[in-house]
Amino acid sequence: MPSGELPGSPVAPGVSAGPARYGEVFDRGYQRYGGARLGRGHGVWAIARYSMKRAMGFKKGWSSKVIPFFVYIAAALTAVIPIGIEAFIGQESIPYEGFFGLLYVLQGIFVATITPEFMCSDRRENVLSLYFSRAITRLDYLVGKLVGAALLTLTVTLAPALLLWLGRQLLADAPLDALWSNLADLGRLAFVGTMLALYLSAGGLMIASFTGRKSIAVAVIIVGIVVLESLIALLLFALEGDASRIANFFSPTTVTSGLVSGVFEPDRPPPPSDQPDFAFAWWGYASAMAVTITLCLAIMYRRYVPAD
Amino acid sequence: MTDRAVAPPIIEIANLTKRYGRQTALADLSLGVPFGAIGLLGANGAGKTTLIRVLLGLTKPTSGSARVLGIDTQAQPIEVRRRVGFMPESDCLPRDATAAEFVGHLAEVSGLPTRTARQRAADVLYQVGLDEERYRLIKGFSTGMKQRVKLAQALVHDPSLVFLDEPTNGLDPRGREDMLELVNRIHRTLGIAVVLSSHILEDIERVCTQVIIIDEGRLLLSQALRTHDDSRGDVMFRVEGDPGPIADRLRGRGLTVKVGLGEAGQDIVVSPESDETFDAIRDGVAELGLPLRMLRTRSSSLEDLYIGQLSNGSGAVVSGGTEQNHAER
Repeated sequence: MPSGELPGSPVAPGVSAGPARYGEVFDRGYQRYGGARLGRGHGVWAIARYSMKRAMGFKKGWSSKVIPFFVYIAAALTAVIPIGIEAFIGQESIPYEGFFGLLYVLQGIFVATITPEFMCSDRRENVLSLYFSRAITRLDYLVGKLVGAALLTLTVTLAPALLLWLGRQLLADAPLDALWSNLADLGRLAFVGTMLALYLSAGGLMIASFTGRKSIAVAVIIVGIVVLESLIALLLFALEGDASRIANFFSPTTVTSGLVSGVFEPDRPPPPSDQPDFAFAWWGYASAMAVTITLCLAIMYRRYVPAD
Repeated sequence: MTDRAVAPPIIEIANLTKRYGRQTALADLSLGVPFGAIGLLGANGAGKTTLIRVLLGLTKPTSGSARVLGIDTQAQPIEVRRRVGFMPESDCLPRDATAAEFVGHLAEVSGLPTRTARQRAADVLYQVGLDEERYRLIKGFSTGMKQRVKLAQALVHDPSLVFLDEPTNGLDPRGREDMLELVNRIHRTLGIAVVLSSHILEDIERVCTQVIIIDEGRLLLSQALRTHDDSRGDVMFRVEGDPGPIADRLRGRGLTVKVGLGEAGQDIVVSPESDETFDAIRDGVAELGLPLRMLRTRSSSLEDLYIGQLSNGSGAVVSGGTEQNHAER
């Protein structure tokens, strides 16, 4: 049917004038929908899935795919190279906490790239009015975005670590035994990877929610982390005692590395007595992350609340 | 339709007030609307969009209550939106998504299972006149096609009531005709109640069975529209110079004359429309030597209703083509 031409008056659903002949064309008509209507959870998951596809550049030009592609290549190499080295030297080449440290920059670049894709287009193209006129709440929309962004971020926080873990078990003399005996490490990796994904994506989404322009959001996320880290370093220098320790919770780098170290190296020795001990237990950093994620969601929710 | 005639109102509003700071957007509105195609008429800024937002449960009223399809919009806004569709006035479509992909996605957000959502999107896009085009990126669409996508997303989850906010905005005459035809079909063929918000009188007159007129947040009128079909038409004309003498002459012949209508305040409306009326106008302008600038019939219409109700005579509402041009020089 040519563009602009209206289809003919629809026939009643299921009504046919007579026996169908081969090649006969029917007006499909408008059918009322009497099937299942799933709940808000389905809507949240639909938003997460759709946003993930768009952030990864599905059905978009190559320029939307290039940064995630190179980040994945780099993350995969970060896992594969230690496995290769360990195959030759026969021992662990890098501890997990060091491995997460290597991935941190890649994770930052990835989050700075994808989270603006999640938030900015909807605001700039005014699509929010269509989402919010449907049977979901504004919080559902934001949770959908957070779930989608965190799932994508898991591909750079958890997937490379899983690859490293699996490679190590397969290199062992008795791979099945090694898999079984190192399940605890797998649990730790899953916990750390998930926390990092939620923490980083919540921060990225929160910043991106303030603008409709992706380029500005990307710049603010990257520059914002650098500025924040510098400010925290200044605070650490200026403050003393507990105030100085608590300032660490505002540093994304310290919080993420603190969690990884706390989980994989819980019995590390304290620093020499002439140096301050900034370290907390893993649950301290995990709590800081949970508070930050909740705070980011609250700020975003505030951004999306109607103005009345 | 008989069942629907006795059915409870699809919209019930009681003492609804909405204020933004000191600005009153809606002032103590109370009305009940039966199933049908409802025209929500008012000038820009009259409160139409605010009313729709309250009815969708997107904005809380300052006081009063509203029920849509029997559901309280404040207590159960999600349930209201599950059963209602909304086509916003503004441009609100993603540029780099296909129509099928985006409409299907919104169907899923409304709770339809994934495969069903995809099928419904294809069906509804076909119904609004976008078939093969549904796989093209929206950024390549004309304004009319975008309006159709917006309409499709409002219908895709099979609502019982759909709010259309200025659906003919930005359309060329052909696109406007098509859109009004679609709106007519939604109501008459698909059996979905329609609330059509517009500041264009003709759009509402062409499509709607009931009209709600609001101005500065106040309800001016809510009544069935088709009762005016029975009323007799008028004759409208314009002369150059002072319209007073010709008006007096026509009044002297027993005709009802109104002066000062139209954009320039120079139009004269004479009732009733008949051959004698035309003869009287012809004779009058000839005897007074007045240049006749325009003469046409004018059916008693929504425009009369609107002008009659609007005490301050806002010029922001656009009159439609209920007038048939006889002579305009």
